[in-house]
Amino acid sequence: MLAMRQDGDWNSVHRLSDHPAARVVEAEHLSKTFGSFKAVDDLSFSVREGEFIGIIGPNGAGKTTTIHMLLGLITPSAGTIRIFGRSPARDRDYILQKTSFASPYLSFPPRLTVYENLSVFARLYGIRDRAAQVSRYMKVFRIEYLRDKPVARLSSGEATRLALCRALLNRPRLLLLDEPTAFLDAPSALEVKKILLDLQRTSRTTIIYTSHNLLEVEEMCERVMILSRGRMIASGTPVEVTQTILQEERTEPALLEAFLRIG
Amino acid sequence: MKLHRIGAVIVRHGYEARHNLDRVTDTLYWPIMDIIVWGFFTLYLAGSNRLQPGLMSLLLGGVILWGMFRSFQRDMAVGFLAELWSHNLINLFSTPLTVSEYVTGLIAVNLIKALLGTLAAALIAWLCYSFNVFPIFPALIPFMFNLILFGLAVGLIITGLIFRYTMRIQGLTWSFTGLLMPLSCVFYPVRSLPPLLRWLALTLPTSHAFEGMRQAIAGRGFSITHFVCGAALNAVYLVIALIFFRLMFASAQSHGLLVKIE
Repeated sequence: MLAMRQDGDWNSVHRLSDHPAARVVEAEHLSKTFGSFKAVDDLSFSVREGEFIGIIGPNGAGKTTTIHMLLGLITPSAGTIRIFGRSPARDRDYILQKTSFASPYLSFPPRLTVYENLSVFARLYGIRDRAAQVSRYMKVFRIEYLRDKPVARLSSGEATRLALCRALLNRPRLLLLDEPTAFLDAPSALEVKKILLDLQRTSRTTIIYTSHNLLEVEEMCERVMILSRGRMIASGTPVEVTQTILQEERTEPALLEAFLRIG
Repeated sequence: MKLHRIGAVIVRHGYEARHNLDRVTDTLYWPIMDIIVWGFFTLYLAGSNRLQPGLMSLLLGGVILWGMFRSFQRDMAVGFLAELWSHNLINLFSTPLTVSEYVTGLIAVNLIKALLGTLAAALIAWLCYSFNVFPIFPALIPFMFNLILFGLAVGLIITGLIFRYTMRIQGLTWSFTGLLMPLSCVFYPVRSLPPLLRWLALTLPTSHAFEGMRQAIAGRGFSITHFVCGAALNAVYLVIALIFFRLMFASAQSHGLLVKIE
């Protein structure tokens, strides 16, 4: 949606959804250095409400570090972050109550059952209709049959679905996903993609998504950021990013080709 | 601090205790084994007339209270280690749960565990060795309180070190109290130490707690001096431990160790 400023200056035409109030995430000049290694280098971006954005890049590009900084798990060396217009340092409680994170590389206490783990997280978010909410999302991710199974005995695909189920418990407005389909077989991955797209469409949940599966990113993400050695080298729709990297006109996205070009 | 989040931590460790035999072992096994071994030892000394009257009570009292201190301190650090071992730390701290809420939840859980262990040891001492600690329990409670506070301070320092220097140093969780034991004067009075060590011993809340315990068991009443000295030292150690823990946690966040520690 386009709008013109009241002074009638057409040069200042901007998207209403770019209005600061609609920005869920704003990162400015974000950097993270570990010793002499620059994991993230002067990264600036903003994500609008309801946007599905993919962060891609080779291993060590800074994708996961960026997500960890957004969650406050890693302190940035420089730069500022604002989520829902607030500072994570000052309003951690407010932000994390409406935010969620899932990664197949994390785990849960292995001896606790699936239900017990979800119940603990529902309590952490202060969910009132805990049992109903847990059951609802177990049903969404088709893991009701695992309810009383200890996490230690889950397959990696089942554990991934548990992680995603836990991530949706608090009905997040911002969902950060680190390679969520990495350990899923094709039918399960397809199912998860459907759930996420449905969530974005129906609840206008903002989703930031890292993945090495570039076809998946092309299919799902409205906008893509490509990171390499901690720096953003391209950002835009999958087609725009393809054109930027390949330096040629394209009508279809070709992220894999672009990815191979950046090495 | 939000009560529902503290409650979630308590429930999480409650579930763990239900499924994990190690947690039950930690709570009951060692306090019971300690009291059985020391009980037989004191019986042997008493039988061969090598034990002064009343000394058996002092030894068993020391075993019970030291067991409580050691298990509380250990379980504070083990609580965090359990999250690291299960790769759950990031899951937890990507929710609104704060470190203070997590620590408060752990204190509540470990207090219950330490009291259960102490109660089991005290019952065995009473039933098997005729050492009834219950009548003097009210006089011991303030010293137990001081031991718990010092256990908390030591637990926080060790956990802070684990955050900063990762699980390479997790062995401290089980071994650190061993370093404190000689100067804590669990089984002998502070005056029996060489003069220099005596001063060092008096800087530990544990030595004041055990001096106070000995006075109570000997029937000389409640020592307000040892209680106040222990409480004042605890206040200092707790402030230092909290600042140290915060600094280590912030340093771990800055160095990215919170996400790599596992």
